[in-house]
Amino acid sequence: MEVRPEIQIKVILKALTDVILPAVDPENKLAQEQTRLAIGTLQLVAKRLPIAYRYDRDELNRYVGFSKDLVAQVGKAADESAIADLKALAAHGSDVLDRARAEPAEMEKAIFDLRAMVGELIEAVHAGGDSTAQAAVRKLVLTMSKQELERERAAVVDMNWETDPRTHAPPIETQLPPVNA
Amino acid sequence: MNAIDKNNPSPEWIASLRKRFPTEKEMDRVLTRKLQRRSGPGYSPVSLETFCASLQSLLRAELKDPFEIREVRWLSGGASKLQVAFKLDWNQPGVGRTVTPMVIRMEPAESIVETSRLREFQIIKAVEEILPVPPVYWIDDEPQYFPYPTIIYGFAEGVVKPSGAGSNVSGLGIDFGPELRKVLGKQFVEHLAKLHTWDWSKANLSSLDVPPLGRRTFEMHLNWWRRVWEEDCNRDVPLLRFAANWLDNNMPAADRLSLIHGDYRAGNFLFTEHDQRISAWLDWELGHLGDFHEDVAYITRPDLSHFAEDGSTVLYSGMGTKEALYEAYEKATGFTINQKTIDYYHIFHMYRSAVIVIASGYRPACNGKTHQDILLTWIMGFGYLNLDLLRKMLEEVG
Repeated sequence: MEVRPEIQIKVILKALTDVILPAVDPENKLAQEQTRLAIGTLQLVAKRLPIAYRYDRDELNRYVGFSKDLVAQVGKAADESAIADLKALAAHGSDVLDRARAEPAEMEKAIFDLRAMVGELIEAVHAGGDSTAQAAVRKLVLTMSKQELERERAAVVDMNWETDPRTHAPPIETQLPPVNA
Repeated sequence: MNAIDKNNPSPEWIASLRKRFPTEKEMDRVLTRKLQRRSGPGYSPVSLETFCASLQSLLRAELKDPFEIREVRWLSGGASKLQVAFKLDWNQPGVGRTVTPMVIRMEPAESIVETSRLREFQIIKAVEEILPVPPVYWIDDEPQYFPYPTIIYGFAEGVVKPSGAGSNVSGLGIDFGPELRKVLGKQFVEHLAKLHTWDWSKANLSSLDVPPLGRRTFEMHLNWWRRVWEEDCNRDVPLLRFAANWLDNNMPAADRLSLIHGDYRAGNFLFTEHDQRISAWLDWELGHLGDFHEDVAYITRPDLSHFAEDGSTVLYSGMGTKEALYEAYEKATGFTINQKTIDYYHIFHMYRSAVIVIASGYRPACNGKTHQDILLTWIMGFGYLNLDLLRKMLEEVG
């Protein structure tokens, strides 16, 4: 799927900078200021988005550590049930951290590499595979693509390229299983 | 796994693509130039003053007599080229002193559809004897005057859609209404028939290769788009790999060559509302020599259709039913349409569209190469509907 926030933010910034800002009435100070703020905010989002997940993971890690220190050092002086709750939440936080070890960029690269290698394999079977292998590729590609395209079409449905709601794919939120499923 | 850096293409990679996908020499030149320029600067806004200065230099080189450029203004529309209208007060050869409205059509640094201005110029010059087209005046193909390759047309009178009619952002899906549809639909088919039955062999079309007749007629053209996919795509798409191989395995034999428009649809012609005549056929940049079925399949693409007023009849290209369009075309040309060949070219058109919107929509936008990067990424969303239609077609053909 190529319609992703990284490129979308980039092109919005270019449109705002190259086309929209120069056309904003210089006498309309509020519009001038808010256009510049919109550009600045989006520049910040574009810069921070790649590390947003890492930032959250680091924050959670620090709070797990901090909570454990609190329990160890002031646990006896505090309310028993509050300490128990904090212990449980710190344990849960540790578990979440254990399950969240890959960076989003790593996941993206893994997908990218798999797609590329799948493409090479399809080409190799086309060039030299027997008819059984070619039939297998056909079946697998068409079956996988059906599922993939249900997701991709749903992800861009709000762009209104598909005007008949009766033929829309199920909403993307219902198609994606929970991460911990 | 080491991915190729497509944003900074190496000479070795470019050479390998040229070898792997042999295509027409003019398209090889254009696509190679695209890759060689890719690591260069992105598109910077070009002002009307720059356009005027470039135009002045070109006209000074082309015209002996004094001239004056007037009323320069931006034109909107189109995801692939920049367009500026102006009026030229000049001594036109064979006409005398006159004022001619014209249009400058310039490429951005890299386009969603990278094509040849030379080819566009030659084709329009050639077909003006058989079809209404805007006159073409000058070309700056290896840019000496403009920042990027440019062509200068005469301004054609007419509108793309009836006043008040709707369509989506790309100009696709125009509803002409029942009366106008009848009148324009007739011309729509007649013009296509004229184009396909025309003897192109005497025209100056030196930028087009003549493919061989038979089973490999389509090979060079298919290679064009397979090469574009390799050059521009980001994430690979297994369905497109499979589709390209299917197209390679199932090329239909052609027994005659016609000049193919390549993008023959509503949105690419102008008509004058007062007399309901098609006044100009536009966008010849995808023109090439090939099997007439290619254009005929294009006008019956399912995604370029809409329902008639009864809510159930499908109107292809907004003009008529499939049966009516085929019948009128066969009658006008004397050709026989082969449904299996139409199916092949339907699959090709879905493939080509997906290549354009998903791969060539992504790459220039990613490198900030156009004046319409935001539109390119919006159009990318169309690609997934396109891919789904391609998938269904491939399932149907078995």
